[in-house]
Amino acid sequence: MPAFPATECADCGELYGFPVVACRACGSESFEAHDVDGSGTVYARTTIRVPGADHQGQEPFEVCVVDLAADIRITARILDNPGLSPGDSVQFVEARDGVFFFEAA
Amino acid sequence: MRDVSIVGMGTTEFGVLDAGVKDLGVRAVSRALRSCDVSRADVDALYLGNFVAGILEGQENIAPLVADSVGLTGIPTMKTEGACASSGIALRQAYQAVATGVHDVVVVAGVESMTSAETTEFTRALNSAADTQTEGKTGLTFPGFYGLWLDRYMYEHGTTREEVAAIPVKNRKNGATNPRARFRDPITIDDVVESRLVADPLRLYDCCPAADGGAALVIAASDRARELTETPIQVLGSGHASGRSGAYRYDDLTTLDATVTAATDAYAQANISPTDLDVVELHDCFSAAEIGDSEDLGLFEKGEGATAAAEGVTAVDGDVPINPSGGLLSKGHPVGATGIGQVYEVCLQLFGEHENQVDGAELALTHNLGGSGAVCTVTVLGRDA
Repeated sequence: MPAFPATECADCGELYGFPVVACRACGSESFEAHDVDGSGTVYARTTIRVPGADHQGQEPFEVCVVDLAADIRITARILDNPGLSPGDSVQFVEARDGVFFFEAA
Repeated sequence: MRDVSIVGMGTTEFGVLDAGVKDLGVRAVSRALRSCDVSRADVDALYLGNFVAGILEGQENIAPLVADSVGLTGIPTMKTEGACASSGIALRQAYQAVATGVHDVVVVAGVESMTSAETTEFTRALNSAADTQTEGKTGLTFPGFYGLWLDRYMYEHGTTREEVAAIPVKNRKNGATNPRARFRDPITIDDVVESRLVADPLRLYDCCPAADGGAALVIAASDRARELTETPIQVLGSGHASGRSGAYRYDDLTTLDATVTAATDAYAQANISPTDLDVVELHDCFSAAEIGDSEDLGLFEKGEGATAAAEGVTAVDGDVPINPSGGLLSKGHPVGATGIGQVYEVCLQLFGEHENQVDGAELALTHNLGGSGAVCTVTVLGRDA
């Protein structure tokens, strides 16, 4: 099972999913890679059927707000359009071009 | 702080207007100036809200261009931008300038020209309101944001698709008799729930249409208002707050903090509670947004916003009339013009002259929201005593 590539503030330990340039909690600009458990839970889900300019041709694709066990919430793509609902389990697969991809667990 | 009043207003229709931002702004401002006894020499400044003219039309620096084109050459001007709340912010800035005594008379405008843009450019422009580094990259659109919102809301509250569909049905019914609205044909619950999916569970008729439009106000210190018009409208409360930069940033996605904060501030300043309001124009960019806005504004308890619409509570003749203009769902959403357009509609209500008049309306609220709940302005308005 792939681990999720989180970011940890080197000064206060605050964890982030998406990359950050300054820590919201303490203002530090020093960060370290910090892998966390890649299993998560769906908080909310939609399926994009009318995409924006940069995602033409990829539709339909599923997007979820995902809660990781490490108390990190992110917005991510879900592979294979499983039609998830809040509370369903997902597993991190990979990060590609700044986008996090999960699959139904 | 001085009291501030609206002394003049003007608007274009909202729809497909085949005109650029400068011309729409000039039309709206000219009409606002002609609606009152304000001379060009009286105007101290102009604030103009716009979102995407730079991207779509290659036209920036709009505020001084509009000022010069309407004979207001020389005054200080500025453009405000906060996505869909761009002109709500313009009003907020102008209000503060008059309230603090910096200016006495200020023109406020909102303008957008969108409908002639190519679809690809149009969606790229609209998506610039989201955080392009996070959810933008992921592929989340604005209908997608509210699709996530509605998915979570229906999961938490057991709300049905048919109850949600009552909102566009109500707003399209209202818009049918508003000559300023882009859509003037009623729809049914079946039309909504059978329309094509855009961002599950949101469907096409849950979404507001794009539009071109311009709207403008003249505001002044209240002690001068009666010199300038016989029918001033008083700004009783003004709130402005920022919120979260994406869906993942919310602890509770179904509560948009910026609305709660801006509304709380505006209610406190006006010394009212939500139950005192006679009429509300709120930011129904999607049916889901009207549900959440109405709850975040304190008009209903959490989980009651959709059922209130389904039961007729938010109809023109209901206990809590919401969007008698038809809202964004009918009028359309010329993004930078929407906030001032809402104020125009409630001023007509307070004059007793709206096409969908709420009987005896004396206290009104407008709510203008930008991005993924990233920025919000709330204005409480009343008849000038």
